[in-house]
Amino acid sequence: MIWEVFRQAKTGEYHTHCGNVHAPDREMAKQFAAIQHGRRKPTNSLWVVPREEIGEIGSDEVAFGGTTDKSYRWATAYNTTGTDAREVVESEDEQVTAEKQRGDD
Amino acid sequence: MMDLGTVKERAGPREFSPADDLPREYREAATRMIEFHANSEIMGAYLERPFIRQSPSIDRKLAFSAKVQDEIGHGQLLYRAAESLGVKTREEMLDDLANGDGKFLNCFHYPLESWVEVPMISFFVDGAAMRRQATLRRTSWEPYAHAMDKVCFEEGFHVKHGEDILKELMTGSRKEQQMTQEAFEEWWPRIIQFFGPTDDKSTHHDFASSVGLKQQSNDDLRNAFLDQYIPKARKYGLEIPDEPRIRERDDGTYAVEEDDLDWDEFFTIAKNEYEPGLGQINGRKHAQEAVDWVRETIERDTPAASGHEPQAAD
Repeated sequence: MIWEVFRQAKTGEYHTHCGNVHAPDREMAKQFAAIQHGRRKPTNSLWVVPREEIGEIGSDEVAFGGTTDKSYRWATAYNTTGTDAREVVESEDEQVTAEKQRGDD
Repeated sequence: MMDLGTVKERAGPREFSPADDLPREYREAATRMIEFHANSEIMGAYLERPFIRQSPSIDRKLAFSAKVQDEIGHGQLLYRAAESLGVKTREEMLDDLANGDGKFLNCFHYPLESWVEVPMISFFVDGAAMRRQATLRRTSWEPYAHAMDKVCFEEGFHVKHGEDILKELMTGSRKEQQMTQEAFEEWWPRIIQFFGPTDDKSTHHDFASSVGLKQQSNDDLRNAFLDQYIPKARKYGLEIPDEPRIRERDDGTYAVEEDDLDWDEFFTIAKNEYEPGLGQINGRKHAQEAVDWVRETIERDTPAASGHEPQAAD
């Protein structure tokens, strides 16, 4: 059976999908994942998940984020005066980056 | 199990995850903190909800309903982060919130009655919350820090939209400006109390800080907030009330005369004994009960464990 592997590079970071392994059970899956995905790249922790336990929903089934103009949900839609708090600026920058990535699709 | 000494020694940003066997003291302190935060998201959303209907324009209505929806989502994220500590289940936390045992932010115990009060929450209180949340991205409980990543991503819109409402009101008619100033005067002391009592009177600060859960003291957060938001308030033509007295130090930071604030009221609220706050708690409880049938229907119609077959996984 196939196990999807998620790798966390450092403590506190996110486990992100990095590939999958063939293994007959969870223990073996962990061993194979350690060898195949934790050997070169910096690794603090790995998760293994049986593929059939994963549910997927794709952009052909649902319009992620809706189909109407939702620009009102972005910080950039509002012009305010004066210096914004740095955490507000940071949030706005993250939103700008995310919006750009959406545009790339 | 990790002993408390080791926890304190290792307590860095995002250091601990559900994979760690943490002592009860840590897990209980983290649960208290995150549950409070989660409850506050929910109660804040309920407080603001009527203003979706009362929004003065379609743009405001859209933005405000998106915002309220975000806040409910933040509550859900945070209950997950709290639940992962293994002290309380999500159901227990939600039940406690309904029966009046769950604690939440002081500002959300006050009624919100008029549109001019809205920016007091959605600009000043959200701004204060965001200041605090930004520091919590470095908390030692990893699931909490991860929840903060998403919350902070979304929250920038809330604060700027709130500021936009304030700007609109303060550039509106003389009457609007006057009413906004009055709302500001009423809410200002509560907003300052958002950060809780001074460090020397804070019950939980020392432990939470020593294990890396809390990243900045009440005083530091309050100072940082005032530093940023007093100039903002002035910029929009709001006058800072004479009380509580606020002294500007030589280094540009602010010191609040704590005795000018109503701490009796604050601690009555903290015990969930403030009358209007009880109204908010019960209001949410009734709203929950009214839609019980929806939850029941969904649960009844969901096939057992969504087709999960444990034998295949193991």
